[in-house]
Amino acid sequence: MAMGGEVPMTVTLDADGFVRLWWAPGIVITGDLAREAVLAVERVCAGRQLPMLVDMTATGNLTRDARVVFAKKSAASAIALLGRSAVDRVIANFALGVSPVPVPTRFFTVEAAAVAWLRDVDSDREA
Amino acid sequence: MLTVTARPDDPRLDQLLEFVVQVAAGDLVARLDVSPDGDAVDAVAMGLNMLTEELQVLYGGLEQHVAERTALLEQAQAELKRLALNDSLTGLANRTLLGDRIDQALTRVKRGAQPPTVLALDLDGFKLINDSLGHAGGDTVLVEVARRLKAVARHTDTVARFGGDEFAILITDAGADDALRIAERALAELRLPLQVGDQMTWAGASIGVCFGSRGQTADSLLRDADTAMYVAKTRGRNNIQVFRPEMRVAAIARLQITEELQTALATDQLLLHYQPFVDLATGRIVGAEALVRWLHPQRGLVLPGEFIPIAEETGLVIELGQWAIVEAIRQLAQWQKELVLPESFRLHVNISPVHFRWASLVPFVQQVLQQHGVPAADLVLEITETGLMADEAEIVQTLQDLRSAGVGLAIDDFGTGYSSISYLRRLPVDTVKIDRSLVAGIDTDPQQHRLVAAIVQLIDAVSLTPIAEGVETAGQAVRLHALGCTYGQGHHFSRPVPADEVTELLHVEPARRDGQHPDTIGC
Repeated sequence: MAMGGEVPMTVTLDADGFVRLWWAPGIVITGDLAREAVLAVERVCAGRQLPMLVDMTATGNLTRDARVVFAKKSAASAIALLGRSAVDRVIANFALGVSPVPVPTRFFTVEAAAVAWLRDVDSDREA
Repeated sequence: MLTVTARPDDPRLDQLLEFVVQVAAGDLVARLDVSPDGDAVDAVAMGLNMLTEELQVLYGGLEQHVAERTALLEQAQAELKRLALNDSLTGLANRTLLGDRIDQALTRVKRGAQPPTVLALDLDGFKLINDSLGHAGGDTVLVEVARRLKAVARHTDTVARFGGDEFAILITDAGADDALRIAERALAELRLPLQVGDQMTWAGASIGVCFGSRGQTADSLLRDADTAMYVAKTRGRNNIQVFRPEMRVAAIARLQITEELQTALATDQLLLHYQPFVDLATGRIVGAEALVRWLHPQRGLVLPGEFIPIAEETGLVIELGQWAIVEAIRQLAQWQKELVLPESFRLHVNISPVHFRWASLVPFVQQVLQQHGVPAADLVLEITETGLMADEAEIVQTLQDLRSAGVGLAIDDFGTGYSSISYLRRLPVDTVKIDRSLVAGIDTDPQQHRLVAAIVQLIDAVSLTPIAEGVETAGQAVRLHALGCTYGQGHHFSRPVPADEVTELLHVEPARRDGQHPDTIGC
């Protein structure tokens, strides 16, 4: 749930072909929110597999149910998780280690590095 | 290793410590507050929260798994216990469970309870049911018998099946009269017809009753009930016998006879006596029947009535019959070699129905005949009428095989069973021996005379040869001859005698050929 009644997430498709998913700061990502996010990403991808940048900076928590949802399926071809704090890192690593996502996924603290990695993975995939 | 920087006076450090202690104590629901600062302490708190949640889920799953496995194990254990203590076909208690229940009942006797009663039940003629209806039909009968026994017993009693057609009922907290009433109800229920598919059959039962007493064990109670049941079997079946100590003495004697009979077979204590039968028209010996005798080292000559039933029960009858066939054919070969026997002379040997189920009977007989150079037609095997009724298909096949091999066949003791002449006509036999009970009153009882006349006519009508058994007087011999009976056998002509006496009779026989009336030829 977003703090202060904000929109919990935003999903867009960049001109350079990246999907961007922003989680509202302080949000606790539950199983329901995770399912909503997966559907939103699928809608944006429209049947394609596209690289995705997830901004999870200052996320409040990622519940176990949500991790199970993310571990099951993804419309993305690769996922870069972007965070800032040590808490973000812990949450991201739970998503990576305890409930692994079924596509290449890494955690970054710098957006440029995240975008560069996504491009690399995407070009490797296309090659 | 990670380094966490925090102020020593940061209160969250104490909260972290408390949390770890709480989780270690098993509280997996506890969670730490994580501040929006997102510093290292918050990260540790978040990590601990997530690990604890993970642990909670794993632990819950493990608990559920253990609970499911435990339930499965308990179920399997209960099933194993049920199988170990119950009969799988009928669901009744088995011997082990019944033994336990008897032990418990005997323990209660020490505290003043009434002694238990055990009924031992054995179905009469179950083998016939199994043979005629197949094992599936037999199983249906056993299940129905179990149902009926449970219906007559009280809910406090234990009905058990020991396997085969052996059942038992433990009756507790009841007087002798009540226990006997249950036995009578069981007997009455088992007399009623049993439906197997579209066929109807009857079982009947022999029941032994043993009233418990102080100092008895489950084993002795079951043994004594079983002994009484055996007595019920020997007293015509379909009845109830209450155990008396002298029955045990008889059972021990039976066991002793079994052991001694085995020794007798191994040490040549058995011998054959021969009872001639004569042509009623000429008085001439036309054959003899071999009859087994046991020359017991202590008891002297033992007649077959004392040991043949036991030999049939124990299976020793197969060995005994083999011995009799070999010895009779050997003797016949000797007579054929040493004497000028009448052309029609044939030697009869009695064969138990058990023998007719022995797969090797026909090749065995053929081999012994060949070994001694005796023509198959000179040997006649006798089977009783009741034996034939017991196991029709199997025995008839063996009869046909023997007939094909040239061996003669005779129905013994005709008139003691319920078979009809038309039934006999379908069998590959050539001779019918009319039972002594029919012959007995022929010269004194006009009705008996008419009955035997009818039987002789019927036997003749189906082209079989009659031999009258138990001819004891000249009057009987004359009347039988007048009725058209061809041959006669009985004490009037000769008792069963050792082989050398038959040799003697056969030696003097030609000299008597000119005698016009059948008369005694020896005794």
